[in-house]
Amino acid sequence: MQIQDLPFQDPGVPDARSGPRFLWWLGRNQLGGQFKSLAWGLLHFTSVAGLPFCVGVAIEAVVARSGTRLALSGALLALCGVTIALGDNFLHRTAVTNWITAAARVQQLLARKTAQLGSALTRRVAAGEVVAVSTGDVEKIGWFVEAVSRFTAAALTVVLVCVALVVYQPALGIVVAIGVPVLALAVLPLLPRATRRADEQREKAGRATELASDTVAGLRVLRGIGGEDLFLDRYRRASQEVRHAAVRSARMWALISAIQVLLPGLLMIAVVWYGVGLARDGRITVGELVTVYSAVMLLGYPLRHFEEIAMAYSFSRPSAKRAARVLSLERATATEGSREAAVPSGDLYDPATGLLAPAGCLTAVVCGDPDAAGRLAERLGGHAPEEGTSALLAGVPLDELPLDSARTAVLVQDKDPVLLSGTLRELLDVPASGGVTAEEALAAAQCGDVLEALAQGSLDAEDPLDARITERGRSLSGGQRQRLALARSLITDPEVLVLDEPTSAVDSHTEARIADGIRSLRAGRTTVVLTSSPLLLDLAERVVLVHEGEVAAVGVHRELVRKEPRYRTVVTRETDEETAADALGNGGAAPREDTVPKDRRTALSDVLDELEEIEETA
Amino acid sequence: MIGVAPPAYDPAAPTTANTLPVGAPATVRAYVAELFRRHRRAFALLIAVNTIAVVASMAGPYLLGELVERVSDGARELHLELTAGVFVVALVVQAVFVREVRLRGAMLGERMLADLREDFLVRSVGLPPGVLERAGTGDLLSRITTDIDRLGNAMREAVPQLAIGVVWVALLLGGLAVTAPPLALAVLLALPLLVAGCRWYFKRAPSAYRSESAGYAAVAAALAETVDAGRTVEAHRLGARRIELSNQRIREWTAWERYTLWLRSVLFPVINFTHTMVLGAVLIVGGVFVLQGWIGLGQLTTGALIAQMLVEPVNLILRWYDELQVAEVSLARLVGVRDIEPGAGDPNVAPDGRHVHAEQVRFGYREGVDVLRKVSLEVAPGTRLALVGPSGAGKSTLGRLLAGIYAPRDGRITLGGAELSRMPAEDVRSHVALVNQEHHVFVGSLRDNLRLARTHAEDAELWAALGAVDADSWARALDEGLDTEVGSGGFTLTPAQAQQIALARLVLADPHTLVLDEATSLLDPRAARHLERSLARVLDGRTVVAIAHRLHTAHDADVIAVVEDGRISELGSHDQLVAAEGAYAALWRSWHG
Repeated sequence: MQIQDLPFQDPGVPDARSGPRFLWWLGRNQLGGQFKSLAWGLLHFTSVAGLPFCVGVAIEAVVARSGTRLALSGALLALCGVTIALGDNFLHRTAVTNWITAAARVQQLLARKTAQLGSALTRRVAAGEVVAVSTGDVEKIGWFVEAVSRFTAAALTVVLVCVALVVYQPALGIVVAIGVPVLALAVLPLLPRATRRADEQREKAGRATELASDTVAGLRVLRGIGGEDLFLDRYRRASQEVRHAAVRSARMWALISAIQVLLPGLLMIAVVWYGVGLARDGRITVGELVTVYSAVMLLGYPLRHFEEIAMAYSFSRPSAKRAARVLSLERATATEGSREAAVPSGDLYDPATGLLAPAGCLTAVVCGDPDAAGRLAERLGGHAPEEGTSALLAGVPLDELPLDSARTAVLVQDKDPVLLSGTLRELLDVPASGGVTAEEALAAAQCGDVLEALAQGSLDAEDPLDARITERGRSLSGGQRQRLALARSLITDPEVLVLDEPTSAVDSHTEARIADGIRSLRAGRTTVVLTSSPLLLDLAERVVLVHEGEVAAVGVHRELVRKEPRYRTVVTRETDEETAADALGNGGAAPREDTVPKDRRTALSDVLDELEEIEETA
Repeated sequence: MIGVAPPAYDPAAPTTANTLPVGAPATVRAYVAELFRRHRRAFALLIAVNTIAVVASMAGPYLLGELVERVSDGARELHLELTAGVFVVALVVQAVFVREVRLRGAMLGERMLADLREDFLVRSVGLPPGVLERAGTGDLLSRITTDIDRLGNAMREAVPQLAIGVVWVALLLGGLAVTAPPLALAVLLALPLLVAGCRWYFKRAPSAYRSESAGYAAVAAALAETVDAGRTVEAHRLGARRIELSNQRIREWTAWERYTLWLRSVLFPVINFTHTMVLGAVLIVGGVFVLQGWIGLGQLTTGALIAQMLVEPVNLILRWYDELQVAEVSLARLVGVRDIEPGAGDPNVAPDGRHVHAEQVRFGYREGVDVLRKVSLEVAPGTRLALVGPSGAGKSTLGRLLAGIYAPRDGRITLGGAELSRMPAEDVRSHVALVNQEHHVFVGSLRDNLRLARTHAEDAELWAALGAVDADSWARALDEGLDTEVGSGGFTLTPAQAQQIALARLVLADPHTLVLDEATSLLDPRAARHLERSLARVLDGRTVVAIAHRLHTAHDADVIAVVEDGRISELGSHDQLVAAEGAYAALWRSWHG
């Protein structure tokens, strides 16, 4: 596997039964890379271990006053230098490749899982988990996958060196062979506490960053109304807490550093003490003494990888567990459907409420309860998250169609459509019938000023279609976002288009023009608009009032305003209490003028004004 | 194939313009100098403990050299106990001071970092409201997250570690020179290779790593967006495209990984060869010198061992050096905020009365393009003025001028005879408040969210304010009352509740004039109705300038101003304007059918 071959054509089907199984699956899938890394690691670590031998030979040569042997030691050293460099370089290259391969594979698996879960994901707590796995856990998982082979190489080298020392100089070698395991294991008990403190510090730092970015995000509010000092004090406290936590964590790591100096040092003194005695008695040469001394000095290097693997495992275990959990999520309902993939065409009917949207008509739906309206919109698209009777399109239950066909037949634009980041061209490039051009859709949704604003705000875009939209369209105002989302839905040009409050953040001037645009662009197509705006309702061919989960009235806007008090309550600015008063005074019939106090400021009078107006024009 | 070219696509390239200035080199230098000055004692202490640790670490090689010398000379009296004793003492000293070095380094780094981030936030919250409105908070937000984060590594690790590393190398070379001066010179033989390799590497590395990490962040960002937009992705059948986008991001990121891996494939052999050359030079040159009788065997042994010790500090320096380069860019972005003049204002300019007056006001965001052209307007105390007109006509801009956020390019805007643009922002807001669509709920307790409007308010006042906006019933039902944590991560408030909090803040701040910029337009219209009742109570008795989306707001106003193309085209009461048969009348009719 080479980096330039990434991403994988197919990242495979992970074993997500548990965290360790997932790690094992990842490692097994890149076994070749692991072995390469192990082989280069062995070359590197053993070459480094060869250096003390060269030093020993040089010292021996000098003691023996032999220039030739000194030159030989130089040549040996050069050879070691080459293999160290080669081994290090390829160990690094293969290990990093293993890391990248593992990280890319997990990211790809996550992307596929996310696309498969789609709307099911946003309703689950898991949405945050997927992001957490992608931003934090992948790195830790990759780290462990990378570190395994490096650690194995280091551990093998340590064993090899100890064995070699025992063979080369048994008396001293045994001292070293006993001492080394102690060194390798000594700091391990401290690591959990150290990593816990590091986690605490990271958590506090995250909190401080959150406070800071939250303060900045709300800075306009803060500057407009005050309270800067309150928030600065709060941030200073959080910032100092981070500092204290960091120093606390540093105390632990400093202690570990000290132990890492002290223990090898003591081993070294033992070696020297014992070795000098041996050398004095002539049992070993001076060169051999120096070799053993510097071998012990260099052993610290492979020994560090014992700590690395311990930390990598303790970090990656919870990460792998979370990744496995996320990758084993499934949709609640089957997406294949029981019917053939075909897009039916005809009337849309919702048995739960009795709502009928005749084919080719613009139907407006008024529903007093925003949540009920949202659920109704979801049901109209089929494959809704909640169990219930399926909406029928031309008599075909949408739930029985494959998910993709249902979504092709009916496009439901929910109350909070998300603008995906990228250029405007990319945003508008959605699967579509091809019947509506981007220009037509943008014009119908009144996006002229949005294009202008986008062109001004971008760095180099001459054409507003090349201007970039930031995540969720945050750089745009609420009304601008709504209009772009509407344009995107219009481009799709589906058999049935369902829009939930598409113009709630748009001013009346523009809303009137958009209503016109939707009507002419969707002429002859089936469109359902859930709204309470008179401007949209007035243009609909058919207006349906859904009250307490059932269709309560059907007609056109002007007729319903006059005849249907429940409709009037929702569409005009009447409040609940006044409705109650109204009901008491009039027995539910249209309000009589003499029972209503003449106060310009009450909302009820607005309704009356409006009624007068309507009567005048009628 | 030799070498890898940097990928053509750079994910770290800015996609939006810097809306705030970036610090000039002189400003950055001055700031760094000040930072050093402020922490000079800690620096001195760090270097002192580091010196002791390094000197103690050289005791081992030195003592072993002595022993080797004496053993090879065949001396019987080795004073082994004494040597071992000194060795142990030196080792303990070294261990204790290594701990001190790590700890002092971290303390220094953390203190500098805390200084830096707190400084930055102090500066940020002092920015003039006009700068914030114009620049938006996006750039500032990326500075406080991304740049502080990058500087975190630099301050916490790079600066102390580099200080340690440099002192360490210098001391080891010094130790080598004291042991045998020619050996110190032999080490220098390896220097040209290292310098050449590092120059090549560090010219390319910082920007490459920036791109690499931006590329990796983009992988996660693409996925996060797919998760966030799950419904939209499914509704528009974008699943396959999102997978392809993730693949594309992975391709871009790994291309940069491949490039930085190539950079290291050049640097690492250079470093490895340097270390071998240092050791080789000391052994061979030193060996020849011993053979010539110019230095002793002990000196050679000590020298060879010290040469091996050089590996660690040299790697330390190389490890952290590029971090420092990355940090420089981030520091310039942080320090840049200091270059913005805080809007001072004259505290002696105080309004006399509540009369708002705009005279012949011209204003534009860009040179030569006026958004408002010669607008004159008078708002009597207690009146309600509605601004209506198509999007982009300039009504929001006029509202911001009336709230004192922008200063007119030409003409004057006065409150009670005092010019708003000459008053400090902190004074202006005690008289005029702008309420917009943004009803930010801060992370923190409900109490903090309210008290920002009146810092020393008692709980009773806060409850009264909540009561005034009909929010006390749900607030009292919260488990922890005013102590309930709200905002992201805490208890989630509905948009309507968030808006009520914003209104309660207004009750507490109690300005006599309010500019409402489509305050309820982001809400579901079916939920907005309850809020309007709360709003009506807040507005009672105040002067109100309302930028209206919905015509019923205009209908309720005492005076309506129709803004078209940067001018006020119609002005009068609802009845007058309807009677005048102009643009407003036409719109009113279409709204009513």
